[in-house]
Amino acid sequence: MNTELLPESLRETISNDLAPVRPLPPAWIRTLYAVAVAAAGLAMVVAAFKLSLRPDMEQLPMWLSWGCTALQLIVGVVLVGMALREAVPGSGVPAGAVTLAVSTGVLMQILVGVATWMHSPGMPLIKGHGLKAGVTCSTHDLALALPALAITLWLVFRALPLRPSIAGLLGGTGAAVTADAINHVLCPMSDLRHVLVWHTGMLFGLMLVGWFAGKLWERKRFGQG
Amino acid sequence: MGVDRKAEEERLIALMIGYQKGNMDDFEGLYAALKQPLLRYLWTFVRNATMAEDLLQDTFLQIHRARQTYTPPRPVRPWVYAITRHVALMHLRSGRRRKEMLADDQLPEIPVPPEMEKFADRATLHQMLSELPHHSQEVLMLHHLLGMSFQEVGQILGIASGTAKVRSHRALKALRERLGEKEGGDA
Repeated sequence: MNTELLPESLRETISNDLAPVRPLPPAWIRTLYAVAVAAAGLAMVVAAFKLSLRPDMEQLPMWLSWGCTALQLIVGVVLVGMALREAVPGSGVPAGAVTLAVSTGVLMQILVGVATWMHSPGMPLIKGHGLKAGVTCSTHDLALALPALAITLWLVFRALPLRPSIAGLLGGTGAAVTADAINHVLCPMSDLRHVLVWHTGMLFGLMLVGWFAGKLWERKRFGQG
Repeated sequence: MGVDRKAEEERLIALMIGYQKGNMDDFEGLYAALKQPLLRYLWTFVRNATMAEDLLQDTFLQIHRARQTYTPPRPVRPWVYAITRHVALMHLRSGRRRKEMLADDQLPEIPVPPEMEKFADRATLHQMLSELPHHSQEVLMLHHLLGMSFQEVGQILGIASGTAKVRSHRALKALRERLGEKEGGDA
């Protein structure tokens, strides 16, 4: 072996820390881990907050109620998968794909909200109670997103994301879209002011949390960010 | 991918698997196989042989810390070059570069893509290459000199393989145009 090529300092550092390691599973398997943890977390949050289906479920066509929830869940899982892929060197997601996926998640949330409002006005927004209803829904959104966000960011930062803020943004968007998919069939209100301010607002908030977590990790790991 | 390239990639994968299992000989084999191409790649960032050597050590330390993130049997080179690129970019961002740069006459040769050698003498090509934007130099280096596919180049740079192909095409076109301008100016 070409030992003479290897600088002595590097050889010493490596040989002192050469414990066997288990290779990271492929991104799709890590995505399945994330989905399993997120699903368990979602079920616990729904049970803990005693959340039930929105009262106007029967007025909504199937494609708009469970259909859109399923579609949003798929988009959320794809976003989480992209975040986990981005976290491994040499398998970075092209900028165009990142933009497309994140835009799809945001647009879908808005379009589902508009379509729901057009089919059913839901519970009316009572004057003076908008803030309370908004805070309640945002709390639910946050609680529903947290398990998915936590497991995704943990899996992302366990690898070596070379663009951690992008991986974080993808993970944050994925978790937010997943939470919105569930809250879509739970939140009784369809009023667009409520949906756009509180639910879409929380979506953007979680995207920022993911992006910022990436920046913090970058600063900690590489001393920059 | 040619037979040699395929055999080389399989050898790198075997070395990487052995290294993940804790075999020092396999790490040394990996170092020996990757040292020269990585140094050439690092040169395109820092243009300083000594600094490239230092960054090579940093790169292998990062590779060591992140060795569990390589998943066999994925190709090894995109993984390694993406880490190398990140080490170089972090170094450039740190602002240390300017102080450590050598004068132009001390620069090591910037390798010339074989496709370009027929267009002008090496000195002219070196000059022209060094004047290209860094992202153009990088694509030319990865594809034409290190023999990576556009898919691999895309994986390293975090761009689509089509984008890598377009960048390479534009870089070659820019080189040809500059050579044409120079010949026109000399005449």
